[in-house]
Amino acid sequence: MSANNMSDPRRPNKVLRYKPPATENNPALEDPTPDYMNLLGMIFSMCGLMLKLKWCAWIAVYCSFISFANSRSSEDTKQMMSSFMLSISAVVMSYLQNPQPMTPPWC
Amino acid sequence: MRIICLLCVCLLMLGDFLEAKFDDFEDGDDVVEYDDNDFAEFEDVMEDVVTEPPQRVITTEEDEEEATVELEGPDDNPEDFEDADPQEGDTENEPYDDEEFEGFEEKPDMSSSKSKDPITIVDVPAHLQNSWESYYMEILMVTGLLAYIMNYIIGKNKNNRLAQAWFNTHRELLESNFSLVGDDGTSKEATSTGKLNQENEHIYNLWCSGRVCCEGMLIQLKFLKRQDLLNVLARMMRPTCDQVQIKVTMNDEDMDTYVFAVGTRRALVRLQKEMQDLCEFCSDKPKSGTKYGLPDSLAILSEMGEVTEGMMDTKMVHFLTHYADKIESVHFSDQFSGPKVMQEEGQPLKLPDTKRTLLFTFNVPGLGNTSPKDMEALLPLMNMVIYSIDKAKKFRLNREGRQKADKNRARVEENFLKLTHVQRQEAAQSRREEKKRAEKERIMNEEDPEKQRRLEEAALRREQKKLEKKQLKMKQIKVKSM
Repeated sequence: MSANNMSDPRRPNKVLRYKPPATENNPALEDPTPDYMNLLGMIFSMCGLMLKLKWCAWIAVYCSFISFANSRSSEDTKQMMSSFMLSISAVVMSYLQNPQPMTPPWC
Repeated sequence: MRIICLLCVCLLMLGDFLEAKFDDFEDGDDVVEYDDNDFAEFEDVMEDVVTEPPQRVITTEEDEEEATVELEGPDDNPEDFEDADPQEGDTENEPYDDEEFEGFEEKPDMSSSKSKDPITIVDVPAHLQNSWESYYMEILMVTGLLAYIMNYIIGKNKNNRLAQAWFNTHRELLESNFSLVGDDGTSKEATSTGKLNQENEHIYNLWCSGRVCCEGMLIQLKFLKRQDLLNVLARMMRPTCDQVQIKVTMNDEDMDTYVFAVGTRRALVRLQKEMQDLCEFCSDKPKSGTKYGLPDSLAILSEMGEVTEGMMDTKMVHFLTHYADKIESVHFSDQFSGPKVMQEEGQPLKLPDTKRTLLFTFNVPGLGNTSPKDMEALLPLMNMVIYSIDKAKKFRLNREGRQKADKNRARVEENFLKLTHVQRQEAAQSRREEKKRAEKERIMNEEDPEKQRRLEEAALRREQKKLEKKQLKMKQIKVKSM
């Protein structure tokens, strides 16, 4: 018995629970990409809606996709969905107002 | 006789037939003019037809609105023909009068002059077209989005497969060393979940606990962001590896006081800048490890030589030499507090909490093009981790080493206190002022005037005592200096 205990390093009585690392104290550990992309997406959506620029709206869609791809699973999906819906609505509104094809910004 | 009669009848019938035909051509002149007039009619009509189409083409180029004009054109033409026919029928009998056709000839001249100018066919602007080709940018965008989604699905699945492959390879070793393998911290009881926690589409965690020497071990599988197409494209320029980061938290009594790191030179330089403890305790540049039998690629950062001697035993050297390509850094420290925290208000007011930790960072072979089979190559590294845990427990500094270590820690603390002296004073001052203010408020808020008076007197007495104490101290200092 004792020999078994000696060779077996496991100690069930010394189990500690997992504590997620406190990311509020260490902002450097967090990846800022999803937050930046979320913000960019919203800005481009608003530009696309207000200034009726189709390319802005399309970039907003891309930004929201990138934000979603980089997001943490613990993050609120509502935020993600709201930016996504905003960008889609920007694209749809731009085309409803002006169904002509898009002119790229460099033209 | 009968035959002759039949022949006569036939001849008569023929004659009638021919007469009927020639009835159309009542006048001899008409016969001649018939060809001219009939064909003349057609010629006139054809000329009209020839002249009109160029006009039609030109009108369409100018404006869409003139489409209505075009539609009326063909409708008008039959009427024109009908009008033209009687007119030309009237003029059939008369020879052509040049005067009559003066204006008419100008028209052909005009049309011919027009035909001499090159007809430039202008492209209908894109916004007036109704074809799908004009929407090429939109098609491009949608294609890009579809490509992104496809890459997301493929990348996510690949990362998942890699993580599962790693876990399947290492499960046995972990389960034989730890009683709790896999915990997300949310369940009521501490039971092994037996699976990885997915933090992200590219980061997986595993918490193991319940072993001698250590409180627990956190393994983080930090894969590349294969699910993000932008990242995939960026990696094409600059290839990077998947990483496995292991952090073992040791019990206080199971590890002595030292700071030590070994790894690639570049990694150590970066760690020395970023990590609080390496910065403070290992101020020298990373030294080459060839003295201890390590390959050139690896360097050592150590608090003191004794630690290096103690750590670099045969087995450790064996591990480091054989798996040097997969080792990014190995960091043992009793003063580990994470990376340096840059605070906005200047220096933090107290030393950060430290923990005895062993940190390992391994690179997965394949430089991004990893396959699940590559995970098996990391199993010996996990053996190295387990060996290091046991070694850290066994390794003890001798008396000299202990003294040096204690001196170092005291020095660091002193430096820290000096730096923050001013801030701490200010903080203490502000705290004292807060207390006074709170007391005054309490006195003011006191409704009973008697009580108020008594509290005020008590506060005055306290202040007087403090002043007296200060004066005594100053006198003592003066006497001492004298």
